[in-house]
Amino acid sequence: MAEIRIEHVTKTFGDNVAIDDINLTIEDREFLVLLGPSGCGKTTLLRAIAGLGMADSGRISIGGQDVTYLPPGQRQISMVFQSYAIFPHMTVHQNIGFGLLMNKVDKAESDRRVRSAAELLHIENLLDRRPSAMSGGQRQRVAVARALAMEAKVLLMDEPLSNLDALLRLEMRAELKRLLADVEATTVYVTHDQIEALSMGDRVAVMLDGKIQQCDAPNTVYESPSNQFVGSFIGNPPMNFMEGTIQRDRDTVTVAVGEHEFSPPEALQPLIRDLSSDRITLGIRAENMETLAAPSSDTVPVTIEVVEPLGAQNLLTARIGGHRLKVSTHPSLDVAAKQQVYIRLPADQIRWIDPATESVLYKR
Amino acid sequence: MTTPDTATSASKARTWRYRVVPYLLIAPAIVYLAMFFAYPMYEGLVLAVYDEDALLPTRDEPNLDGSEVSKIPQGTALAIVDRSSQEVVGDENPDALTDPWYQVTADDPTGSPITGWVSEARIRVRDEDAAGAPVSGTVRPRLAATSDPLTDVYEAPNDRSEVIGKLEQRAPVEITDVALLEVWFQVRPADDPSAAAGWAPSRFLQVFEDGENGRVHRGTDGEFTTAFIRRMIDDRFFGPAVRTTLLLMVLIIPAQLVLAMVMALVIHARTRLSTGFLYAFSLPIGMSDLAAGILFFSIFTGNGLLNSILDALGIIDGPYAFLTADTVRWIIFAIVLAELWRATSIVMVILVAGLQAIPDETLEAAELFGASYFQRVRHIMLPLLRPSIQVALILRTILAFQVFAVVIALGGGDVVTVLANESYRQYFGLRNNNVASAYAVFILLLSMASAFFYLRAVRSEPEARPT
Repeated sequence: MAEIRIEHVTKTFGDNVAIDDINLTIEDREFLVLLGPSGCGKTTLLRAIAGLGMADSGRISIGGQDVTYLPPGQRQISMVFQSYAIFPHMTVHQNIGFGLLMNKVDKAESDRRVRSAAELLHIENLLDRRPSAMSGGQRQRVAVARALAMEAKVLLMDEPLSNLDALLRLEMRAELKRLLADVEATTVYVTHDQIEALSMGDRVAVMLDGKIQQCDAPNTVYESPSNQFVGSFIGNPPMNFMEGTIQRDRDTVTVAVGEHEFSPPEALQPLIRDLSSDRITLGIRAENMETLAAPSSDTVPVTIEVVEPLGAQNLLTARIGGHRLKVSTHPSLDVAAKQQVYIRLPADQIRWIDPATESVLYKR
Repeated sequence: MTTPDTATSASKARTWRYRVVPYLLIAPAIVYLAMFFAYPMYEGLVLAVYDEDALLPTRDEPNLDGSEVSKIPQGTALAIVDRSSQEVVGDENPDALTDPWYQVTADDPTGSPITGWVSEARIRVRDEDAAGAPVSGTVRPRLAATSDPLTDVYEAPNDRSEVIGKLEQRAPVEITDVALLEVWFQVRPADDPSAAAGWAPSRFLQVFEDGENGRVHRGTDGEFTTAFIRRMIDDRFFGPAVRTTLLLMVLIIPAQLVLAMVMALVIHARTRLSTGFLYAFSLPIGMSDLAAGILFFSIFTGNGLLNSILDALGIIDGPYAFLTADTVRWIIFAIVLAELWRATSIVMVILVAGLQAIPDETLEAAELFGASYFQRVRHIMLPLLRPSIQVALILRTILAFQVFAVVIALGGGDVVTVLANESYRQYFGLRNNNVASAYAVFILLLSMASAFFYLRAVRSEPEARPT
């Protein structure tokens, strides 16, 4: 069992609070992705788990053992570094076996583990080579093999794919996911790439300014962001946001955006009615809108500003009430710039955001 | 057809430029190397193995046009066969040791006018023209009572020519011409009467008082010789100098490397005091080696710091003389201490730079995979520091061959001597440039050999370098 519990962990660098009172429990064998823009504290949190930067306050325990003050070598963890941190003076074999040598693993056992880790990553033919004669992708494989050979209960990964070119990254992403599914280790994976996060993690913890904004399954984080930042950070294109005004009638609540009116779902109406101000923000993802050539009862007429064909979809830029919306359409829909179309915004796909707290309203 | 041709020639021109431009850029470096590195080294090497004055060529006629008869080595005893005065025309031989003769017109004791040649030694010049040429003068009086009071006048500017008249002392003369004469001797080696005799100018010879014997003072033709090197090796200070230099190297360099590594690790640990340590450790870099030697002399001398402390602690009764001819070990000890204090920091600076080139993540990875501090030093830092250690070793070994001022300050240069000191002694003390150069070349060869050895022995495989 290697459950990681992070309790009230804070770390500051001078006046800069890198991680701010974080509480997080990572289940045994879970794959957790720490996602956030640069400077959000995700790497600092990972290093705190690794023991490479001691937390200022709070507790960290791994598998029930308090490791807050343990040096990294005694935490039963292994790690893949962003720069790979391969030892340049050692062969691939020595690199993969380094942790085993340091932990005094029996020689035959160590050799077996080095070979099996190398086979997993398809670098068994490189074992006698030195890193300087290898490509970035091969070095990356060595770094992963070195981490896997430790057979540690906790595997930490600090943006392992960020130094690879796009094609190789795509390939390694799938391969890493396959590998880590077999490896039965609790994995913490740091990335700033939302696609990587969504595609790999069991859960994604989205961080900003040293705080975890939302920690949920990838689909939940995507579909139901907890606040405006999560909605805008995840998804490509990011979620569309529109400023609206709440119109409180006797029975119903409607929201006006420019000259258009939207009615929130039944369940959310009391919540929206209770908001202290009249302002509200509407969020909707590009693919959740429907584009129609002819008007219908619940459509909004818009003029297309730009059409961006992206192959699998066409991305339209349209304008509603002073807000630019990105709308994704099927490529078969024949539209051109300056043309008038009608888009439908399904009420259940709209996320209603309180502008005061920037958090999304959900029925309880 | 023309277009591809033009293109080819244009690209050819461009290729040519790309090939030449780098050489133009390094031309200053080549000039620098040639002027300040290769040329002095070549000159030093030549001085050590080439004797410029070794041989004196002799000729079959007493002038420079004569063909060569033989070459006589410098210092050979000579038998003088004949003697001749040769007029030196113009500036053809500015080095010649010449004797001027004047063509004079005067009245002889009988009152009749006479024109002939008289040696400069017999004429006092009274008037010169604007260009400085003598115009008139008087005959010098002869002081010795035994000699002829009259001065001979010769037909030609040569004391072997016919005497055509005589002049009274103090007789006024008009000087109409000047000739410069150089004396040549016909000589052969004294120990070989059968050898062919040849002519040589007097300036290369030393003629003894009897006028019949002499020796070759110096030659004009050079010769490669091992004489200077043999003289260096046979010198009584050579053995001690080599031994002491090597002993100092063996004592200093390993200790220095270990010390410097510890200092570098202290600084690399990035504690709050690291910067302070860096300044403190590198302070001696700014001090001259002579000053460092004098500093340690002041510690070890009779009334110095060490004696004061020992005396104050009651360990010794009176001052102990550390730096005497009877306590060479103490002198060596003091030299080792002074050199360690003075020159360890430069090694440290090199190692600190090397340590800083190791990425933090590499060391963190080692730590994370369970390496203790000493395991990190042994398995990661030392192997990655190999290029730095190599540079430091080469630098320190070369500097160790040149150790000089500290030795002079602490040992005076006689009791304990080193190679650089011997070069100095030969040059300034004994005025022997050639043997001094031989020492210099010897130091150079040792330095090059040690650098080559280190480059081979501590070779870092190119692919093992940090990327």
